[in-house]
Amino acid sequence: MSAGVTTAVELKMDWEIQEDPQRTADFQARIDAKGLIEVDDWMPHNYRVGMLRMCEHHANSEIVGALPEGEWITRAPSLLRKLALIAKVQDEVGHGQMLYHVCQDLGKPRDQMLRDLCTGKTKYHNVFNYPAPTWADVAMIQWLVDGAAILNQKSLAEGSYGPYVRTMKRINMEEAFHFKSGEDMVLTLMSGTPRQKKMAQEAFDRWWAPCLMFFGPPDSDSTKTGPFMTWRIKTKTNDTLRQTYVDRFAPAAKALGLIIHVAHKDKDGMVAIKPDGNPDMVVDEQIQFDEESGHWGFTQPDWDEFFRVIKGNGPCNKQRVALRRFSHEQGHWVRQAVMGSAGLPPSAN
Amino acid sequence: MGLSKIRQIEAHDDSELSFPPEGDAKPYEVFIQLNRGQPHVHSGTVDAVDGKMALSYAKKHFGRDQECVHMWVVPREAMISTNYDGEIIWPLTDQGYRLVRGYAIDVRRKWERFRDQEELDRYQDDDIKEMF
Ligand SMILES: [Fe+2]
Ligand SMILES: [Fe+2]
Repeated sequence: MSAGVTTAVELKMDWEIQEDPQRTADFQARIDAKGLIEVDDWMPHNYRVGMLRMCEHHANSEIVGALPEGEWITRAPSLLRKLALIAKVQDEVGHGQMLYHVCQDLGKPRDQMLRDLCTGKTKYHNVFNYPAPTWADVAMIQWLVDGAAILNQKSLAEGSYGPYVRTMKRINMEEAFHFKSGEDMVLTLMSGTPRQKKMAQEAFDRWWAPCLMFFGPPDSDSTKTGPFMTWRIKTKTNDTLRQTYVDRFAPAAKALGLIIHVAHKDKDGMVAIKPDGNPDMVVDEQIQFDEESGHWGFTQPDWDEFFRVIKGNGPCNKQRVALRRFSHEQGHWVRQAVMGSAGLPPSAN
Repeated sequence: MGLSKIRQIEAHDDSELSFPPEGDAKPYEVFIQLNRGQPHVHSGTVDAVDGKMALSYAKKHFGRDQECVHMWVVPREAMISTNYDGEIIWPLTDQGYRLVRGYAIDVRRKWERFRDQEELDRYQDDDIKEMF
């Protein structure tokens, strides 16, 4: 690393730290009163680190999430869809920009964050490690994944960190378009020919389980939930969000004529094929409305697969990180030219 | 000449003044925030020699007529802005394809082929309403 480049002190969780009791109490009181914490306010070390980690993971997810969809821009089936997809991908990268900014103010330089993403030191959302082999996958991503993101981000917009909360509200406005255009694409396919419906069903079979996993491991396995909820970094638990999601999307999918399956996946993230040539999946019999609880039932996704993918062994992990690295390296001369460090005067624009 | 007389001498030209032009202090734009977490809103300008002085003037001047919790002062020279004339910010082409309103009616109509009104209303209740 060249001289003069700032690297932040490594920000790590430290539960041994004794925080000032009075300040901690005042801080918690403001949070309990649904107040917001601002960048210059005092905050416990672990709050700062937790907030930074979550926000960095979110920022990474926005820009990595743009990769599978971005590859479909040249193959979009109409001019309208192409324009919409370009706009959507542009929005996602913009979300990344806004979120990296929140992280910078919490103490980590942007350059370091982008480097850590390229080297796999930091992670992004697991859902983007799955393949998008058809146009119907693009449609399902915008309906199911953006739908999941909206639900999650709505709960995060009720959080306690002011800069993140305001960014969430702004982002959600744009997500609303992604979701509507996703619905439009799914509705178009499901109103179409048998081939279009088949393509939509196959994409749905690929995305349903990753979307259930989207909200994170079951509360019983989630280590973060405790202090994160107390500090309102998170406002709803993983299981609560997952149930809300199923309550909204299971009946909608059924109404469209989509069948919810429990599918076994191969290493490429495709539904596995049995020796007899049929897909290795069964109808999820749990998908039923329970009058008593007022909720829809569902089969839990394969959590072993979830942890395997998170550790880097998912269908597209290597491909995504490598593409991000390639893009970042390709942009090196541009950044140099803009920043003036290539011996050129900084850009006047 | 007695003081009472001196106080009555009129000047009719700049050259008659015994002091040189001094120049103005620098303008600072003032932004106030009425409640935590809300946007800062531009509320006026003060002239000051530095940021500290600007902030102290701003507090006296703009912080007294309404309760406010936070304030920014920004040297006007640090602000970069567009021109009202000739500079287009909002695109002139129809960009409905990147907004909810470009889809909402069509999507509703398509859903109606699959779901009844009541179900659909309940489902769309969870939609985010775009407020741009
Ligand atoms: Fe996004
Ligand atoms: Fe999105």
